[in-house]
Amino acid sequence: MTAQITVTEGGIPHNTLMIYGLISSLVGIYLTYLNTVTGTQLFSFFGGLGAVAALIWGSSTIKRLCSYGIGTGVPSAGMLAFGSGVIAMLLATKFGIASPIVALVLGLVIGAILGYIANNILAMKIPVMIQSIAELAAVGALVMIGFTAMTTGSFTFSPLSVIPVTVLGATVNSFGTSLIGGGLLAAIFMLGSIALQHGFNACLGPSEKQDRTLMLTAEVGFLSMLMVAIFSFAFIGVGAMIVSVLISAIGWYYTYAQYITLSKRDAAAWLDSKPIVEAEGH
Amino acid sequence: MSALGAAKPAAGGAIDPVSSVVGLVLAVIFIGIVFVLAPAALFPLLGIILGGVLIGFGVHFVPVGGAPAAMGQAPGIATGVAMLAAGAGLAGLFGGAWAAELGVVVATVTGAIGGGLMMAVTCLMVNVIYVFGMGIPAASGKVTKDPLTGDTQAEYKSQGTEGHGLPFISFVGGVVGGLFGGGGGTLIYLMLLQVYEQYLPVIFNAKVEEIMPVAVSLAGIFAIGLFLVNAVLAAYNITGTIEGPHDPKFKRFPRAIVASLVASALCGLVAILIVVVNLNI
Repeated sequence: MTAQITVTEGGIPHNTLMIYGLISSLVGIYLTYLNTVTGTQLFSFFGGLGAVAALIWGSSTIKRLCSYGIGTGVPSAGMLAFGSGVIAMLLATKFGIASPIVALVLGLVIGAILGYIANNILAMKIPVMIQSIAELAAVGALVMIGFTAMTTGSFTFSPLSVIPVTVLGATVNSFGTSLIGGGLLAAIFMLGSIALQHGFNACLGPSEKQDRTLMLTAEVGFLSMLMVAIFSFAFIGVGAMIVSVLISAIGWYYTYAQYITLSKRDAAAWLDSKPIVEAEGH
Repeated sequence: MSALGAAKPAAGGAIDPVSSVVGLVLAVIFIGIVFVLAPAALFPLLGIILGGVLIGFGVHFVPVGGAPAAMGQAPGIATGVAMLAAGAGLAGLFGGAWAAELGVVVATVTGAIGGGLMMAVTCLMVNVIYVFGMGIPAASGKVTKDPLTGDTQAEYKSQGTEGHGLPFISFVGGVVGGLFGGGGGTLIYLMLLQVYEQYLPVIFNAKVEEIMPVAVSLAGIFAIGLFLVNAVLAAYNITGTIEGPHDPKFKRFPRAIVASLVASALCGLVAILIVVVNLNI
């Protein structure tokens, strides 16, 4: 029994999409550095936009990898991506301003080694395996660092683990209220991996269309971004948080409306079922 | 779960000698880097590798059924490895983490029991749903007699299926897999916690008690990452589905042990490097 997943050809080639995703993700994450330049926290939301760009790239990679029928289900690819991505991302935060680029490179290296293990030692023998796992680990690392930058307005290790708190006029370092110490990283981990794997997992099948799959990924990505914007209330000012929430909500609404339109386009028929009307007199 | 179960034609279980040697050389290099940069972290790294291997080995015991199991056409728990590993392994990890201060042995055993218990509950409820909800008996398609109870299987197996439900041997396999997974995950967590408790106070110039939230959180998230990497690699080895320790695919486990060893050495190295790299930027 073979269960080759049908993937519709056409649309934007994967490599083009990868380059767009990579560049816009890095640019987005680096735009949060405007916070430091301008001395505000209003630009934190760019981290989330960068993460959504990386998610779209990753969704295309998952589609390419899983079309070979890896046998373990699409979610496992998302879990592997974030399992290796979080390891790369945390080490990368030690590299200061170079963190996003280090996260990308480290993700690619760790992913390539894991891809080699899966493809050669475990004899998966899938032509795109090494490249795909490398891309997925890089996507995992970029999404994590993007959402982290959105939450705290920063992507280096110290601000993520220590927060100076003023107690009775004296400033002390608080470790438990930081992003890492508070365990929010685990929530970001799950929000990102759900967004990464859901798009293709939900849309795969005979009439799969690239734009619809990627639009769903963007939609779930913005939904995750909305949650991350709410997390950021603990770290950045109320004004910056409201900006983040508004941009996430607008992005989510737009992609959701687009996704519904695309679903109607691809559906064989569309019936607008009305809510069941309760008959009176019971 | 997507409709991927039993997707690929069964690949052979033979070990590829060239790539395995390349992998082992890589693992030795990773261990060597830790030995040079942070000698105190060498033993923790070996513990992390052992934990990773336990996870990779444990996954082979767990009856992963995938989508065919959800339709009652194959035995096993009706979901993918990633979900089962996250459930059983993290239950064990959290259980073991509570016992961290009681020492490595007690905490690891606690973690193993946590994982095993989670799998036992899962397997029981899966069978309750199969038998009383879907109305199908438990029957293996891979063996004619249950290796533990000696019960014959063929007369309970529906035609056109590969078996269904959770036979006794699969149930036991699930619990054993949970024990291995929970214990391995907890071991990784404890080893990383040991490294961070040693190095983080120096980095932040603070007391051990103060940095504990960061140390616990870092060790936890790295342990989750390592857990998922090892579980998914083992899932690739069994191409998604397995009935339990009696399944012919179980014989492929030596490959997964090599793979888990290399992957854990790599991820453990990166997790330890985070306290070694100190650029002050």
